[in-house]
Amino acid sequence: MIPLNITDQHYQDKCLLMGMLSTVKDPELDLNVVDLGLIYNITIVENNINILMTLSTPACPAADYLKAAVELVAKEAFKESIITVDITFEPKWSGDMISEAGRAELGW
Amino acid sequence: MEIPAHQIPGKRTIIPYYLAASVSLVGINILTSLSIADFHGHFFQPHLLAITHLTVLGWGTMIIMGASNQLIPVIGDKKLYSNHLPVVSFILFVLGTCLLVHAFLIFEFGLMIFTGAILISIALIIHVINIVLTMRKSVSNIAVDYIVTAHLWLIVTASIGITLLLNFRFNLLPENHLQYLKVHASIGMAGWFLLLIIGVSSRLIPMFLLSRQEKKSYLTAAYYLINFALLLFLGDGMLFQTASGMFFYIAFLLAGLACYSVFVVNCYKSAIRKKMDAGMKMTFIAIGGITIPFLLLVTVTFFFHNTPVSVILAYGYSFFAGFITTLIMGQTFKTLPFIVWMHLNKPNTIATLQPKDLYKEKLVTFQMYLYLPGFLLFLVGILFKYQWLMYPGSALMTTASILYCFHVFHIVNKLRK
Repeated sequence: MIPLNITDQHYQDKCLLMGMLSTVKDPELDLNVVDLGLIYNITIVENNINILMTLSTPACPAADYLKAAVELVAKEAFKESIITVDITFEPKWSGDMISEAGRAELGW
Repeated sequence: MEIPAHQIPGKRTIIPYYLAASVSLVGINILTSLSIADFHGHFFQPHLLAITHLTVLGWGTMIIMGASNQLIPVIGDKKLYSNHLPVVSFILFVLGTCLLVHAFLIFEFGLMIFTGAILISIALIIHVINIVLTMRKSVSNIAVDYIVTAHLWLIVTASIGITLLLNFRFNLLPENHLQYLKVHASIGMAGWFLLLIIGVSSRLIPMFLLSRQEKKSYLTAAYYLINFALLLFLGDGMLFQTASGMFFYIAFLLAGLACYSVFVVNCYKSAIRKKMDAGMKMTFIAIGGITIPFLLLVTVTFFFHNTPVSVILAYGYSFFAGFITTLIMGQTFKTLPFIVWMHLNKPNTIATLQPKDLYKEKLVTFQMYLYLPGFLLFLVGILFKYQWLMYPGSALMTTASILYCFHVFHIVNKLRK
């Protein structure tokens, strides 16, 4: 999970955003994208919010859905902002990125 | 970076195959219930030939064709070449299978069986063309190699099948018909079903289990060992018919399977997702269960001079009704709910239902508890000629197949709402 720094001027917005993103679940794993560690970074510059995320595999069949869903929930929380979602495979996602809560849910 | 270009194939390229296959499974079990006495005779007889071809074509190949139209774009990261060809292929395949199975049932080797065989062959060629054209520009990987090669073996199997039918009418082949029938069956089992299942599972198992480590070198070794065994078998079976050849290709085949087993065990050991749903449990039971037909094969090859027909029947039965059917019954509930879910999703809305909400997990478990004991009872009944064991076994499997069929229709029905 991405670290949120309380001294960050956008700390509250990022916390709200992470909360919203937690409602988006990977359809196969039934685990939310935040606990899965798919969200790599959130950048807020004035009115622009950029979410950098990955997928568990480049061949993920739910790729289109996950990207659209992340954008939708972000837009719901920040109606006035311009939301962009970028997909990266650098670094490649691995199981080590799953949160403690996520690991417990998957029975690891 | 852009998301890979695979797109969701149309519903008509996948769903009809699942529906037709689930109806076939019920048909197979009803036909089996009505033909129990035939399982004590030779395998070359009308009802057993009809059951075998309905299992291989109407059930196994049917559902694999449908599922591959969904999975192959994912595995190859490519859009399905055509959404129309699978529809044409489906219609021809259903018609061809009905004609062929009916012709075997009434043991009529005339126009009906040839029309059926030709329709099936055209359907398979169309399917293979669509798959090969989808995969042609995909990044080369071992899963792609397995899938493309399996499709080529499928064409070889169908060609030998047509040659056998022609042989009935025109007596073309120099040796005993049953010799070539063995080649037809074995190439279909190992070349088509086994290679395809290994190829697809090599991507799906690590994906479903979130495996941290994949020993792909074992998969590559398995690929070459199994294909080498198949080539040896094809050459020997069609041309030379040597007595000792079988020891070599069975050894290569078993070595290949051992390599695949190492890959699967490693995927499981390094899995993040240890909790398995009923679909994955059935998959692992099926993969473990592949030892039954291969133990019987080893027994047949190394311990019998004149193999009892019951052992040969049990070998074929445990491969199709055990390994293939258990695997497909499990994987149906890993793939179909997801396929339906993708088509239920509307753009610009968050999904309120997940794929797991589209089917009943407890019903899958119940199906498993009915089917597996039923299969084992029936298998023991075949091996030791205990007809009294085969009746309850068949009843359990028929009930499981009816529940399975109902479940598949129930999932697909969500698309209508």
